[in-house]
Amino acid sequence: MINHHPKFELIKAFVNGDLPASLSAGVAIHADMCPVCQQTIAQFTEQVAETSFEEEYLDRFIVDDNEALDAVAAIDFDHMIDEIVQSSDISIALPKVEKTISFDDKIYTIPTALNSMELGKHAHIGKLTRARIQLNENEIHTSLLHIQPGGGVPEHTHKGFELTVLLAGSFHDESGEYVKGDFIMLDSSHQHHPISTNGCLCYTVANDALHFTQGINKLLNPIGSFIY
Amino acid sequence: MQTNLLSRPTSAKSTSMSDKINHPQLCQWLESVASNRDKEAFTHLFQFFAPKILRIARGKFPNEAQANEVVQDTMSNVWRKAHLFNQEKGAATTWVYTVMRNITFDMLRKIQGNKEDNLSDDIWPIAEKMSSEAEVFDDHLEHANLLSVIEELPQAQQDVVKGFYFREMSQEQLAVHLNLPLGTVKSRLRLALGKLKVQLGEEHD
Repeated sequence: MINHHPKFELIKAFVNGDLPASLSAGVAIHADMCPVCQQTIAQFTEQVAETSFEEEYLDRFIVDDNEALDAVAAIDFDHMIDEIVQSSDISIALPKVEKTISFDDKIYTIPTALNSMELGKHAHIGKLTRARIQLNENEIHTSLLHIQPGGGVPEHTHKGFELTVLLAGSFHDESGEYVKGDFIMLDSSHQHHPISTNGCLCYTVANDALHFTQGINKLLNPIGSFIY
Repeated sequence: MQTNLLSRPTSAKSTSMSDKINHPQLCQWLESVASNRDKEAFTHLFQFFAPKILRIARGKFPNEAQANEVVQDTMSNVWRKAHLFNQEKGAATTWVYTVMRNITFDMLRKIQGNKEDNLSDDIWPIAEKMSSEAEVFDDHLEHANLLSVIEELPQAQQDVVKGFYFREMSQEQLAVHLNLPLGTVKSRLRLALGKLKVQLGEEHD
């Protein structure tokens, strides 16, 4: 059973579209396997949408009322409507294409959230295999990490943050056992030494503390205090 | 001369100054766009959503042109994807919010990360289950299965089947829309449905 879930602050930032792609995908992958978080997200999205399109809420954005009205009037809405309805295209929802990836002769289905992401070559270190996911997010590095049975990651701490979403299999560390679907967010206060007795595949997101600058703070602004 | 939307009288009072959102009305307009390509209904939707989307986008994009692009792209998607909206799965506001959030996300990524990979629809699917009930899930499998079978039809037959099946257009409407004689539409539809029956029948045995 899934025991580890994203905190509500993270879900909020996810729904608002304020998280970087790496973490957004992490939450989406978890929610795909977790009906509880799926429901939280659906409910919160509904609330945010409702308030977003209420007049009263929008008034809060308006610093100078006249200026806002000018901005609205400055677009030729009639022209925009005409242009849009001229198109007879409709978008057909295509059936989901299932993508797979293999590690050490085992084939895994790639979570749909990662479908359009570019995967790098496999790199091997002992029983670990890593495929980088090319997201261009500066200090944030995203990967698929495969651990062969009996493999593990040497003891380490996190200077920034490290997210692990377990896609298949299981592993354990000092804090306990983790299973498929678990969303494990660690920060610098954690020290751990994960070992996978039967092997596993993880989606991992970590930032490189050495290059830890203001850029990332900006990117993670809404949840800055939560992660660091 | 540009029209100022805010000064234009609208037939639906609920969309003008009230804080309460008239959800059934929004749903009806969306359904009308989906099934009839109803331009008037779209204009109502546009008048309700566009100024709000613009203000929200201005909060995220300091650049005016980019904020306008969010409005343009969101509303075009509403026009092109209205048939993917399912009111049993959520409010119209939730659906439009999702479309807007996805466009904003991809645009910000393009600007900040210089990546044009449009990841948002994979992360937040527009036409996907919002409930995890088994029944809904079964229905989706069936739907996906049907779609993949339809994709194997010749293009001319696909157009007719998709219009008829997903947009619930009448054969007459389809003839006009595709600029074909009514007889051609009828025979393509008959051919296509015959093939689908065989395909689906086989897979259901």
